[in-house]
Amino acid sequence: MPAVILSRRLPRLDRNVGLALVLIVELVIISALVPGYFSLGGLFDASRQFAEAGLIALGMTLIIITGGVDLSVGSLLALVSVTIGFSYQAGLSLATAILAGVAVGALGGFFNGVMVTALGLHPLVVTLATFALYRGIAFAVSKANAVSNFPPWFAFFGEKTIAHLVPVQLVCFVLLAVGFSIVLGRTAFGRRLYAIGHNELTARFSGVNTAAVKIAVYTLTGCLVGLAGVIYTSRISSARANAGFGLELTVIAMVVLGGTKITGGSGTILGTVLGVLILSYLQDGLAFAGVRSDSGLIVTGAFLIVAVLLNERFRKEPR
Amino acid sequence: MAARASARKSRAIHFSVSRFTARPEAPSLIFLALLIVALSASTPEFATVANLRGVLEQVAVVSIVALAVNQVVLAGEIDVSTGSLVAVCSFIYGDVATAHGEAWLALLAALMTGAVVGSINGALATYGRVPSIIATIGMLFILRGIVLLTAGAQVINLSADSRLFGAGTNFGIPTSLIVLATMFIAMYALSEHSAFGRDVYAIGGNPRAARTVGLPIYRVRWLTFVLSGLSCGLAAAVLLGQIGQLQATAATGFELKVIAAIVLGGTRITGGRGSNASPVIGAVLVGVILNALTLNRVPGSYELLVLGALILGAVAFDGCRQRLLGRGR
Repeated sequence: MPAVILSRRLPRLDRNVGLALVLIVELVIISALVPGYFSLGGLFDASRQFAEAGLIALGMTLIIITGGVDLSVGSLLALVSVTIGFSYQAGLSLATAILAGVAVGALGGFFNGVMVTALGLHPLVVTLATFALYRGIAFAVSKANAVSNFPPWFAFFGEKTIAHLVPVQLVCFVLLAVGFSIVLGRTAFGRRLYAIGHNELTARFSGVNTAAVKIAVYTLTGCLVGLAGVIYTSRISSARANAGFGLELTVIAMVVLGGTKITGGSGTILGTVLGVLILSYLQDGLAFAGVRSDSGLIVTGAFLIVAVLLNERFRKEPR
Repeated sequence: MAARASARKSRAIHFSVSRFTARPEAPSLIFLALLIVALSASTPEFATVANLRGVLEQVAVVSIVALAVNQVVLAGEIDVSTGSLVAVCSFIYGDVATAHGEAWLALLAALMTGAVVGSINGALATYGRVPSIIATIGMLFILRGIVLLTAGAQVINLSADSRLFGAGTNFGIPTSLIVLATMFIAMYALSEHSAFGRDVYAIGGNPRAARTVGLPIYRVRWLTFVLSGLSCGLAAAVLLGQIGQLQATAATGFELKVIAAIVLGGTRITGGRGSNASPVIGAVLVGVILNALTLNRVPGSYELLVLGALILGAVAFDGCRQRLLGRGR
């Protein structure tokens, strides 16, 4: 019996250990090939780039575990950024503008969740529509202009470091990752997400309020997009409607790379964090080596497809 | 006698009306008719021959691809890689046409490129078990990345001879509309008069039942993706013929217009229900709405907003209708 339990537990352990090994090998190879890349400061500095995608990936993990997906996160980030910039320009205090931005993020996620549950539509379809809608609103509001005259203190979220080493957004990401990991692995709410992803009908008949849970995860992801939008706007100190273009792809690639099953029912936060690190340091290494940024699109797209392909190939249980 | 005949006649009319309203494209066709009447009354520039012809020509490229992607959607999958694939095929077409000066050779090259990418998409989505939206989004970005990397700031200008498939007229009809009509007839024949066409509906309507009766689900779905790729090759030839020059950002966001046309036309996004008229009617609807915005001097930055709202409205409408009528499955 213990052998059975052990062999059941092994695959998940294997996967995350495997991902960690991939990450280490990747860093070693990049450091060997690109002189001057490897330094503690450099590694921490790279986290400025990926904290936003990483934060959203935490929420996306929950959504994908329930069998859903959210394609609108990149567009919603643009809408959040434009909300912050243009409500500040319109005369709101910056603190209020930031709150308004986060609220817009939460509202956008809530709307996705309601459309998915109330109309019984597939999340891919709903969020493909809001993918166009949210960025469309951002373009309409901003009239394709940018706002970049923020006061200096706004740089705190995206530019400041703690002890001259750790970026503020990395601290934020780590704290939230630990929090999400506990919620997903140690609470009834987390168990309900897996139950819905495995078999929604069974979950509903077992007394889970599936609609409420799903609306909650979409809204939660919307909040994270709001937070990421604040960090993004602060980091590049500009609010513009083309922000976060293609971000949804990066985020989904990170999540599935981390071993979350794209059709729902299994996945871990630790896996997602490893997925975030692997993809981000690869892109960072390429950028450091001077490869054109357009190749980032190819790398992310290829990683997304290959990760899902391998996940589905090597999954033991029948689909 | 006469009374009975007229009763029979009115029943026949009633029957054909209810047959029409049961068709998937009926709501969008009615909406389109009302919209055209309203626009003709409110905007004097709308109902001119030149404007309507312009709308139809603009719609042609989207319709060509939407007709093929419609089959993908009917079979229960989705293809959102078309924007980048049209761009890739356009560059292949442009390169071959400028190098050899043979428009038909260029078309063949574009079609083959489309077919190869389409078959990769299809293989990933079926035999590779990657959900089609993930596979084709990945492909959308990979192909756009390749175009941006290889073409960069390069701009291709096409000679008049190479613009065979999009510019000019034959028998007084714009060439692009002739290509579209040919595509429509081909898709109609394939969909309504071949075993493949029936299989597509059967698989999209109920995959489990289709599997039980032994239909080759993977092969049929794979073929719809190949079809979608081929249509991108054809659309590239028409698009380049129309605009005559090409940049690396060509056809960005095109895939959204295609999906919008299909769902607005009344094809169910989860498959199994729809028609060949749906994507064309949907594309015309999108074209007319965007044209109305332009004529009324709404800034171009609203285009994406309108497109998103239209897709959302269409799928929400279908969701409500299914819920009210009781679900089909």
